[in-house]
Amino acid sequence: MKHLKLFLAVAGLVLCFTAGAQSQDAMRLNEYLVINTDDFQDDFGQQDAWIELFNSSYGTVDIAGCFLSDDPDNLKKYAIPGGDLQTKVKPRQHVVFWADNMPQRGTFHVSFDLADAKEIIFTKGDGKTIIDRIPVRHDLGENVSFGRTQDGIGSQDGSGEGWEVMVTTSPSTNNSTIDKAAKPDRMKEIDPYGWILALTAMSVVFLALILLYFIFKAIGNANIRAGKKRSAAVSGTDVKASQYGEIPGEVYAAIATAMHLYQEDDENHDEESFVVTLHHTDRTYSPWSSKIYTLRQTPAVNKRR
Amino acid sequence: MGHIIENLKQFWQFTGFANFEWGYLIMIAIGCLFIFLAIKYEWEPMLLVPIGFGILIGNIPLFAGLNVGVYEEGSVLNILYQGVQRGFYPPLIFLGIGAMTDFSSLIANPKLLLIGAAAQFGIFGAYAISLALGFDAAQAGAIGIIGGADGPTAIFLSSRLAPTLMGAIAVSAYSYMALVPVIQPPIMRLLTTKKERLIRMKPPRPVSPTEKKLFPIIGFLLTAFIVPSGIPLLGMLFFGNLLKESGVTKRLANTASGPLVDIVTILIGVTVGASTQASQFLRWESVKIFIIGALSFVIATFAGVLFVKFFNLFLKEGNKINPLIGNSGVSAVPDAARVSNNVGLEYDPKNYLLMHAMGPNVAGVIGSAVAAGMLLGFLG
Repeated sequence: MKHLKLFLAVAGLVLCFTAGAQSQDAMRLNEYLVINTDDFQDDFGQQDAWIELFNSSYGTVDIAGCFLSDDPDNLKKYAIPGGDLQTKVKPRQHVVFWADNMPQRGTFHVSFDLADAKEIIFTKGDGKTIIDRIPVRHDLGENVSFGRTQDGIGSQDGSGEGWEVMVTTSPSTNNSTIDKAAKPDRMKEIDPYGWILALTAMSVVFLALILLYFIFKAIGNANIRAGKKRSAAVSGTDVKASQYGEIPGEVYAAIATAMHLYQEDDENHDEESFVVTLHHTDRTYSPWSSKIYTLRQTPAVNKRR
Repeated sequence: MGHIIENLKQFWQFTGFANFEWGYLIMIAIGCLFIFLAIKYEWEPMLLVPIGFGILIGNIPLFAGLNVGVYEEGSVLNILYQGVQRGFYPPLIFLGIGAMTDFSSLIANPKLLLIGAAAQFGIFGAYAISLALGFDAAQAGAIGIIGGADGPTAIFLSSRLAPTLMGAIAVSAYSYMALVPVIQPPIMRLLTTKKERLIRMKPPRPVSPTEKKLFPIIGFLLTAFIVPSGIPLLGMLFFGNLLKESGVTKRLANTASGPLVDIVTILIGVTVGASTQASQFLRWESVKIFIIGALSFVIATFAGVLFVKFFNLFLKEGNKINPLIGNSGVSAVPDAARVSNNVGLEYDPKNYLLMHAMGPNVAGVIGSAVAAGMLLGFLG
């Protein structure tokens, strides 16, 4: 039975972890640039078209085995190779593929370019399930990219909902960069007197502590019931809940005094060993063995003058 | 001879006397005052002595380029100051606090948790006042946390939200923590009737070791899931407590609650003190921070005591809470609880409130860490 419980616990944990593992479905086409004349260069110093993918999940996704294509009739045009650690995309991170039709240059150089492409398609490892697709716009001009307004948000069916012409290109980084100073500024704008934040935060503080209260109230009650049962089993009588667990204040006062003496007044002593040691005394004389004390003294006579 | 005089003249330029400004003298006087208060009146000596001496260290007039100042990159003091700037000292102190804290009184009477929540109004009251006085939202959040009466949390949050105000915030927080026995009793007397002050609370029930072991685990999971931004503080607090309560990591608990927390307290005290250089500290903002800090403690005490009175409306006779423990919802452990006990004893020499007051007091530590997480989440 004990082993069964252990097995179930481990199985439960494993299930929890596997349930949390992220799949390739979380990947999104996020931005692309068709005409690159003065934009970012690849690792060979070349300026080529690029496609950015974004991991919209909060877990790492391995895209090895997935496919990129510019042809709906040939979804498997470029298979992302396995065995490259960089195909494991970290949570909420980006990865850029160079559309230079030079796959021999490495994992991130696909076997097509965007000059005549009609659409970009990202397909799952089965080569059939399309995860995301977006039509390629050729009217954008040089060094102007097209991307999602917010990373990972918007359509996956090629309708282009949630996509827009980017003000600046942003390969491998967020499409809309949130200014760090904006958060407090926005908060002051929304909540100039601080009451909204105060009420929100206090509600959360109360919520957290109320939940703790309920949990420990329940645990405490369970503990008291268990204690009652144990006491009843030992004494053979029923013990009222109110009796169990109540210790007179004097006991606490005695404990507090002992602790005070221990900590403050140098009355501390080391831990009791529960061994009584009788030390040998150096005195050769002991009243226990002295005959003087066993004899009555000779009465003295005091003469009055 | 001419060379010797020239050398001596040059040497004079290196000395603190040649670089002297009145601001440094004022700060040195403040440092000496801290040391005096700590030694003479034993007001938070563990903190005020290191901070006070740190102020002396940070306010020796020197010229830039010696590479010894706390703000000079790569200097020894600057390296030690990284623990404050990057915020890794406060979680280590929380580890020690967790390993020292006995949550038994809270577990025995979990409704006391709510008092610890109510006292956090001090933080948000101070936040609102800071906004009204012209601070931006991030600075207001950092100043507001003074109301939590928790030095490490104040340092942690101000290092993230308003690093330029950190010295003033930290010194203000620790100063008012030391002044808890002065600030709180008049408010407690003002808000309570004699009858209320005489309320005797039921002695807490004994808490089983299992409950003590479960508390840090459940407490952490619950609070961290609600406020993940508070993980550094909450995680270390509850982890430290688990080391203590697990019963099998006595050595680790002893280290966390002893040598480790002592070392970090020394480092945090000295470097925070040293960061209060006159040029950084003697500003109008610092004065405002001190005023807001005092008000935040007043608001927290008001909120704690009034909440208990309100709570008592729903409790049966015999289960009522003495409102004198309402002040201990601030997380100045155990000073605030001691204040509750002392004020209680003034009116009934046999009514020891210390054990009951420790409940809200440690709940205040949790509450202020949650509140800090909220502020960091919204403003960081």
